[in-house]
Parts: sequence; C-alpha cells; structure tokens
Amino acid sequence: MTTFIARRLIQTVALLFILSIILFALVNLAPGGPLSAYGGRRIRPEKIELLKRQFGLDRPLPIQYIYWLAGNDWIQIDSDSDGVTDEPGTRKGILRGDFGFSYRTREPVLHEIGLRLPNTITLMGITMFTAIAIAIPLGIYSALKQYSFFDFFATTFSFAGQAIPEFWLGLLLILIFYAWLKNPWTGEPLLPSGGMSSLGSGFSLSDRLSHLVLPVLTGALGWIAWYSRFLRSSLLEILPLNYLRSARARGLSERRVVLRHALSNALIPIVTLIALDLPYIFTGAVLIETIFAWPGMGRLYYQAAVERDYPLLMAVLIIGAGFIILCNLIADILYAYLDPRVRYE
Amino acid sequence: MSTYTSIEILQNPAEQAVDLAQNVWKRFRRHRGAIVGMILFASLALLCILAPLSPYDPEKSNLAEKFQPPSATHWLGTDALGRDLFTRIIYGGRISLAVGGIAVAISLLIGVPIGALAGYYGGTLDSILMRITDAFLSLPSFLVLILLAAILREVEIPFFQRNNVFTISFVIGILSWMTFARLVRAAFLTLRELDYVSAARALGSSDGRIILGHILPNGIGVVIVEATLQLGYAIIQEAGLSFLSFGIQQPTPSWGNLISTAQDHFIKYPWLAVFPGLMIFLSIISVNYIGDGLRDAFDPYKVLERVGEYT
Amino acid sequence: MFTKTRSLFFLIPIIIISLVFTACGGAQPSTTSNGNETGEPPAAASTDKNITIVIPEDPPSFNPMVADTGYDALVMELVLLGLTDIDPNGNIFPELATELPSIENGGVTVDEDAGTMSVTWKMRDDVQWQDGKPVTADDVLFTWEAISNPDTGSWIPGSDYIDSVEKTDQYAFTVNYNTIYPGYLTQFGGEQVSVWPAHFCDATQGFVSWDCGRKPLSDGPFVLEEWVEGDHLTFKKNEKFYQAGKPDVNQVIVQIVPDDAVRKTMMLQGDADIDMWVNVNTANDLKGAEKAGVSFSPTDRWVMRMFMNEAAKGTTDAAASPHPILSDVNVRKAIRMAVDVDTINKDIFHGLANPTWTEFFRQPYQCEIPRPTYDPEAAKTMLEQAGWTDSDGDGIRECHGCTTGAADGYKMEMEFITYAEYGEPLELTQQLIAEMLGNIGIKMNISVVEGSVLWDLAENGGIEQTGNFDIDLWDDGYAGVDPTDYVWETYSEEAIQPGAGWNVTRWDNPVVDALIDETYTLNEQDRKDTFCAIGDFINEEVPIIHLFTVPNADAYSTRIEGVQSSVNDLVTWNIADWKLK
Repeated sequence: MTTFIARRLIQTVALLFILSIILFALVNLAPGGPLSAYGGRRIRPEKIELLKRQFGLDRPLPIQYIYWLAGNDWIQIDSDSDGVTDEPGTRKGILRGDFGFSYRTREPVLHEIGLRLPNTITLMGITMFTAIAIAIPLGIYSALKQYSFFDFFATTFSFAGQAIPEFWLGLLLILIFYAWLKNPWTGEPLLPSGGMSSLGSGFSLSDRLSHLVLPVLTGALGWIAWYSRFLRSSLLEILPLNYLRSARARGLSERRVVLRHALSNALIPIVTLIALDLPYIFTGAVLIETIFAWPGMGRLYYQAAVERDYPLLMAVLIIGAGFIILCNLIADILYAYLDPRVRYE
Repeated sequence: MSTYTSIEILQNPAEQAVDLAQNVWKRFRRHRGAIVGMILFASLALLCILAPLSPYDPEKSNLAEKFQPPSATHWLGTDALGRDLFTRIIYGGRISLAVGGIAVAISLLIGVPIGALAGYYGGTLDSILMRITDAFLSLPSFLVLILLAAILREVEIPFFQRNNVFTISFVIGILSWMTFARLVRAAFLTLRELDYVSAARALGSSDGRIILGHILPNGIGVVIVEATLQLGYAIIQEAGLSFLSFGIQQPTPSWGNLISTAQDHFIKYPWLAVFPGLMIFLSIISVNYIGDGLRDAFDPYKVLERVGEYT
Repeated sequence: MFTKTRSLFFLIPIIIISLVFTACGGAQPSTTSNGNETGEPPAAASTDKNITIVIPEDPPSFNPMVADTGYDALVMELVLLGLTDIDPNGNIFPELATELPSIENGGVTVDEDAGTMSVTWKMRDDVQWQDGKPVTADDVLFTWEAISNPDTGSWIPGSDYIDSVEKTDQYAFTVNYNTIYPGYLTQFGGEQVSVWPAHFCDATQGFVSWDCGRKPLSDGPFVLEEWVEGDHLTFKKNEKFYQAGKPDVNQVIVQIVPDDAVRKTMMLQGDADIDMWVNVNTANDLKGAEKAGVSFSPTDRWVMRMFMNEAAKGTTDAAASPHPILSDVNVRKAIRMAVDVDTINKDIFHGLANPTWTEFFRQPYQCEIPRPTYDPEAAKTMLEQAGWTDSDGDGIRECHGCTTGAADGYKMEMEFITYAEYGEPLELTQQLIAEMLGNIGIKMNISVVEGSVLWDLAENGGIEQTGNFDIDLWDDGYAGVDPTDYVWETYSEEAIQPGAGWNVTRWDNPVVDALIDETYTLNEQDRKDTFCAIGDFINEEVPIIHLFTVPNADAYSTRIEGVQSSVNDLVTWNIADWKLK
C-alpha cells in the first residue's frame, strides 16, 4: 500500500508540474490582459510601461514562468528599468509558497484567497452535507419501497433534479422566496436574496442561516438527485444477494438486514463518489456565488478572469487542480480500503 | 453485458447492426419514461427547426411593446426591446441544441478512439493515454472552460470567429471526452478477451477490422447511453457559460444568455427568466429519460428486473 | 461490518469544518490604525448621527492610483486631503492650499522663451494628522517622491511635465514644470491624488503597495476605526478636523453588499443612506421613493459615442488603406443622421441620458455647435448620392460609384463592437443602433467583447489599437475640467500610431493638429476659442459620432442634506458638509 501511495504521489507532482505549464500558457494566451483596462476604462500609455514592470510582464514568457515557479530573489533584476540589473527581486515563487500578489489590490494572492476560501467552504460544505443527509434516507427508502408511489416520486424527482440548471433554480428561488413570499410578521421578504449576512448585525446564527437557505438549496438539489439515485441502484444490486438471504433466514428483521448489513456495502461507491466530488467544494461554486452574491472563491475567480489578474488565476487553477488530484488519490485509497474485493484483486 | 456468443460472428457486421438495433428498439419501447422523453425531445427539436415559421423576428425591436407579460399575441411575453420571447427562445434553442450536439460529437471523436486504442493495445500506449486522460480530469473543468472560452472567442482563426457556435462547442467538447475514453477502454479491456475475438484473430482479421467490426459494436451501447447524458451536460455547460457572458453573445439568443440578460429585470418581469430555463429543463430531462431507456434497452437483464421477471 | 461507521467518520470532518467556518463568520478583522482588534459589530456612536454607505466590493486600497475602482476614491475622500479638489460644476477649490496659485497673485510664473513655468503653493498651517503632527510641505515632497519612483510609483497627469518639486518653507513649496501645463491646479489633488504622511508611510514599501494605503493616517473629516474585509469599514468623526463644527455626521459605516437588488431594497427601506453609482434602471426605480432620492451630477463626463475607423479594418493608416465604407465623410454623416438618440434615451435610459453632439459641452469650454438632425430619409438620399445603392434588393447597399475606392458591388456590411462590462443598457443601445442603420441599408454585425480585449495593447492584438474594427461604441470622456490631453490623444495625428495615443479613428487633419498645439496656453479665452474651432472641425468631418451622456447618479437617503453627485469626484467629495436631519 505504501509503495502504491508513494508512486502516486510522485506521479502527482509530475502531473501538477505539467499542468502548471499548460495553465500558465493558457492564462497568458488569453487575449486582453491586465494592462488594457483600469478603472473600467482605457489606461494611459505612460502608466502601461510602469505597470508592465511592476507586474513583471516585461520579461519573455518562459522567464515569467520561472519567476512564478521559483521566484527571482536568487538573481539580479533590473528594478528601476535603467537597463542595468542591480538587485535581487523579492519573489520567492510558488515552490516556496509565494503565490505572488494580486494585480488588483497588490496584496499577496494567498491573503486574497484566504479571505474568500472559508466562505466558499462554508457554503459548499454545508451544501454537500445537506445533500448527503437528505440523499441517503431518500435512496434507502426508495430502494426498500421499490415500485411504490414513493419510489416513483423519488425517481422522477431525481431525474428532474439533475435536469434543472443551477443558476435558473437560483433565480427561481429568489423570485419565490424574496420577491413574492413575505414574512407574515414583518412584511419583509421571507428570505434574503444574496450576501452572507445582513448589515451590522454582527454574528447572528439565525441571520446567517437565513442567508444560507437559498444557495444551499440551489446547490444541493442536483447532488441529492444524483446521490439518492445512485444509492438506490447500488442498494438494489445488493439486496438480492445471498449473504442477505442468510441473514433474513436467521430471523433478523428486514430493517436490521438493510441498515446493518446491506447499507455498509452499498455506501462504498457513494463514499468514493463523494470523495471525487469534494473538489467542487473549492472550485464549483462560481454560478451559485454569482447569483447569490456570495463573497467566495468562485466569484473571486470570475472577477479575476474578467480582469485578467494572472497571479490570482494561476493560484486558483493550480490549487484547484492539486486538490482534485489529491481527492482522486484519496478516493482510490478509500475504495481499496473499504471494499475488500478490490484489495484482493 | 452483451449476449452475443461466438456463433454470431458468422453474420456480417451490417446484419449484426440491424439485428442489434431491432432488439434494442424492442426493449426501449417498453420503457415508458423513455418514450415520453423521446416525444418531448422530438417536439422541442421540431419547434426549434421550425423557428423561421414564427411571424416575429427574433432580433428586430418593437419598443412600443416592451416588457409585456404573456398574452394571446405574445405567448411568452416580450423582452426589453419588445421582441417576442417565444420566438427568441426557439431560435435560441437552435443554438443551444446545436452546441450540445456538436460538443458531444467532438467528445466522441476524441474520446472513443483514445479509449479504444488504450483498451485494445494496452501496455505503454495504454499508460500514456491514461496519463493524458488523468491530466485532463485533474483540471477544474468549469474554471478552465471559462478561460478557454475567453481565449478562443477572440482568436482570429477562420474557423474560430467571435461568437461562433463551433468555438463554444469545441471548448466544451474538449473538456468532456474523458468519460467516453474511460468507458470505451473499460469495455475494450473486457471484450478483447472474449472467445470470438481470439477466433477472429486466428482467422487472420486485421486489428482495425477487429476493433471496428467486432468489439466496437458490442461496446457501443454504453457509449450511446453516455452520449445522451453528455448531451444534457453539454447543454447545461453552454447555458452556464453564456450566463456568465463567456459563451454565445448577444444579439444571437441562446437559452443561457437569455437568462443572463433577464437578470436585471426578472423580479419585475419574471417570464424573461422562467421560460428559457424551463426549456433547458425540459430538454435535459427528456434526454435523461431517453438515456435511461437506452441503458435498459442495451441491458436486457435490467428490463426483466423492472417488470419483475428477474430478481 | 463497520464500514458504514467508517464512512461516517469520513463525513464528520466535513461537518465539523463547515460548522466551524459558519461560526467564525468567515471574514477576519484586520487591525486598525488604533491598534484595536475587534470582530464585534460596529458600536453605535451617539445615536442617529450615523450613516451607512453600501458598495458592492471592498476597496482594493485607500489609494486610487493602485486599481482605480472608484471605491478607493470613495473612502479616500473620508480620510485624506489633497491640495485642491473639484466641485461638481468643475470649479477647483483649495483644500490644503490657502489659495489657488495664478499669474495674477504671483503663484504662477511663466518663462515664455523657454516655454516652462513654476507654480508656488502656500499651504494651510492649521491642518493636523490624527496623531497631532501638522500637515506640511514635507508631506507633499514625500508624496511626490513616492509617486515618481520609477519602480514602485505610479503615474499622475503632469508626471511627465514636472522637473522638480522644491520645498521653500514649512508650509510652501514650488513645482517646476518643463512646459506650459494648464492642468497644474489639480496637480496634487482632485479625485485621485492626495497628500500622504511622510512620518507615517513607509517609503520602502512603495507607493502602490505601502501598508498605510490600507491603514491610513487621517487628516480628513473621518478616521478609520476598523476594516473587516468582505464585510464593512467603520469610520468615526475626526475631532481634529481643521474645519470647526464639521463633520456633522458622527460615524460612517461602509458596508459591502455585492447584490444590486439588495442595495436597492436597503435604500428603499431606509437601511442604507448612500448607494454609489446607481445604474439607470435603479435610478429609475427609485423615483418617487419615500426614503430615498437620486442625485444626478450637474455636469456629465461619459459620452456614449461611435468611433468610426477611417482605415481599413485591421490597418492603421487611413491614407494608405482607406476604409472601403467609412472613409467617405458623407457616409459618416449619413450614419449620424440615422441614429435616433431621443428614442434610445427614452426607451433604454428612461429619459435620464442627455443628448450630446460635441466633445465640448462642459464648462468652461462650452461651444455652440448645431445639433445634427435625425432624418433617416435624408440619410438614405445621402448614401444614394455617395454611390451606395441597393441594386439586388436584399436591403443592403453596395458600392456603385462610391468614392472610397471600394470595388463595385462591395457590400455595405460592417462589424459593430461594444464592451461587455457596462451591462444591458449598452447592449440594447447597440442592438437598436444596428437596427436603425439596417433601416437605411447598412448591415451591422454585432460583437460584444471584454473591455480588456477592446483596449489591449497593440502588441497583444488589442482591437482598437490594431484597428481591428469598423465601428465601435462606448462611453468615453475626460476627467476633470481640462480636455487638453484628451483632445490630443483622441484627435491628433501623432496619436494615430498604435501605442502613442488613442486616435483610433485614424483621423488626420493638419489644421486641427495645429489648433491642438495652440491649446497648450494659459489664456483661457484663447483656449476656449481654439477648442470650439476644433469642435467645428469634428462636427464637419465626423470622425466620432457623439450620441448622449450617460447619467452619473448616486442614491441618497432623505435623512441627509447636502449630497451632490459629481462627475469629477466621488459622491463623498463633500461629506464634511453633509447634515443629518
């Protein structure tokens, strides 16, 4: 097992390296750039030269990549553009944890990400948790009561849930719960239409929760549909199996049979599915955050993409890719760990 | 998964295909949801094809009638420039469905050969191809989608002009071929061990003929099922991209950008956002039901189980 | 047997992490300049003298020179002062300066032979930083050195013309220019430039990234108390503010509210007092609201205009490769006659835009230029006479005897570009204009591109700089009151070169070039006459069609008196003078 993990980790590093080159090329190839618009308008030519130097965009692309990767404090650079290299640069490169500074705020990229990441993790984490908490009972009940009305309803629901575009659902929910329905006591909208919390209320759990309801519902629906359906079919495949027949023959109640013996095995593929979906906690919230004006990573990425804030884009992409690779690795390990059949192959 | 035995290689591939199709259709027919889905999807597609029959022009403005709610003259209301929403939606449907279809076609064109070669030859070729597949799978797809759309949209290569349907389809397709590659590879890994393949090889058939003539037709079921699901997925991707203004641009309507332009006004004029999204929903749910039906149709055991004859 | 519990263990960390983050509330408070670290809600100061400003995102810094998003200038006005500032009518008034230097009062000396000038400023002696130290000429010199640092500085208008800045006294200094520069009055003031404290900011950190840009030392009407990033900023009244009895407001909370609809609702319900830069639709929706009003700037800046490329698409030399359609002035005039500005104003901008047909419509250079007529029939006739007729009946004209050098039968079909970030009103405008031109036989193919692609450098293939367009549409206008630099970079022949300027229409008129040179004088009457002469040429040769100005509006609560939106500055420019009812 350890050699397996070690080998995968080495492959991961190589993969990340190649991906970083590809992503770096893509980001810089995108037409338009950070030098073309400032404050939403054209930028003075005089300012362009200065910014080029400050952003490090006056070097050829491969050199820029090396500075991004390994920094430039180990060589002399020309810091005041008089044509003479005179002092070492100040960047350490991502290999040493320096992701550069955002073109927009001149603050370190990790600082910018650090401000938004908890918000995204909160939102998507709660979404995922809610989805799982609803999907599991739904899937189980659906499998047990196969062909019943409930099952029919649940199956239709899961088809529908996977077919609804997230952003449309978000707008619909805002329409219903913010524009149409009113709180019977205060006459104000029932639920807020965006943001993380209300003005100046400090920290109030009920306020935070009310801001979470709509975005979580929007994001969870697709997952609930998907997971419950998967669990249902997984359970259906297991229920007829022989070892359960013996358990029933031994006189165990159906409930015990299902919950104790069948479920644990049926959950295995679900667990790996969840592990594979984990990266969405980090990368998947762009649409929801845009609609609900949630100050998270997705929105940060979108804004950075429009403004061509290269260091921020690269950081989000490479961290996202790294996270995905890591989760794939965890999923593989988990699958081998949880499912003895795989191990003995 | 398939029930063909060694004897059937004596039939030529064309007859095999017809036979397969007939069996599949027979089983498909019994799946109620799939039939409904097929009818629904066919109606939607027909509506979009017949778009030019609408008396309204999708791009010509009519300011006197702007922001009207659904009525007898404008079935789904009008937008900010007084244009009939129903007309714009069905024209938009042409674009959205076209993007979906082309994107899936591109995914198939890339994914199937990769999976087939990896699965059939194995060894180092398999390793290399799978590494490439893994690399693509490690990309945060929606984020990279945004980036690619931004790049290719502005590039002045003759094919990839601004606002071109083909550009967006290409971008979506190139990030979703991996599922096909994996599926086809898995199918090939199993199927190439079958007796009739060894028999064909013993008879001197070339690799190409074996791949195309013997293995692929048997693996095609999974691919077709996945293709229908990917169609739904591609339509949603295009809608999401256009919603963020990185996809199809105005004034060409697409379901995604119709919802995007509705955002400023949808609280006062909800129909502008509700109906385009409804179309997306209906297309995808119908496509999903068709996919489910096809899955059952290609796997007879599933059908028997559903009607209670097999447990 | 226990795999179910194992998988639960897997879920538990997710649950815990997300609950922890919900509890922490996500945003981390940053230390304020007072050194207090609080995560608590802003404590209400003496009741009801507080106001709340809502903006969609955090200001990147208190220094607008860093990213120029507008939110930075908004908060800068609360804590920092410049030598002078501009009022909504374009009048410059002194802030840190005691009076405006001029030739009459001896503040400005001009060396006519050498073509240089010097400006001597006298500063007030009663302004203090919040730590008690006085604001002096040292601070101005310090600011200038930081700005002009070639590595970590920035560029401000006038940067290239300044030879040196010399301190002559504790509260006086002289700026030596290497040319006659009419814009000297807002040299260290105006919307974007303030005077920074020499004893507090760390010059080694660089002008664009120093910490005092995020935690400023104040000499303005308010002091920054705390900044919880992503959530809010709190300011309290500066007791040491040099204007006695001001500000009336005790506390300002700047709240980050990303959602348009929420901000509008807050204004309607009285939960917010200022919403900056409201768009046309919101301004329209707030009409007649009980608790809120909309303040419009008395002057306008952003003129929606159509730039017509006189060089063939993809080229930049109008003489060598003239545009097959647009190089004929009659075609451009016909296009101007076919655009119905009033309809666009009424139906898309709710009547809030102002039709404008010249560059020079703002004080002090208002010129009498006749308004172009809207007459599509006359436009069609003009096109016919110019040699553009529709012989095959498809609704699109072709060249039959046209004078641009296009081949016979060349279709009158062009690409029409605008930028995406403005939003729906601009896109609708573009669609309407395309339709209007379609009605006179010109087919326009619409493209919407990102601003950063439209305005990118020539070497990166920027659309305007490489001339890769036929007609493009967007709102442009010069800052402040002085159009000199803007006119040069938009209409002069030298500015045609990609990278040298922004004459993207490639209009080349030597008489106008000579006139532009003459505007670099201090004689106001001469300047006005010259600008108006230039305006006449623009009106005759139509390199750019000016359509209308887009409104600059801010929403305010009816509790506050004295709010005045300004196109020259952010709405907080006079916050020290606001009174609460």
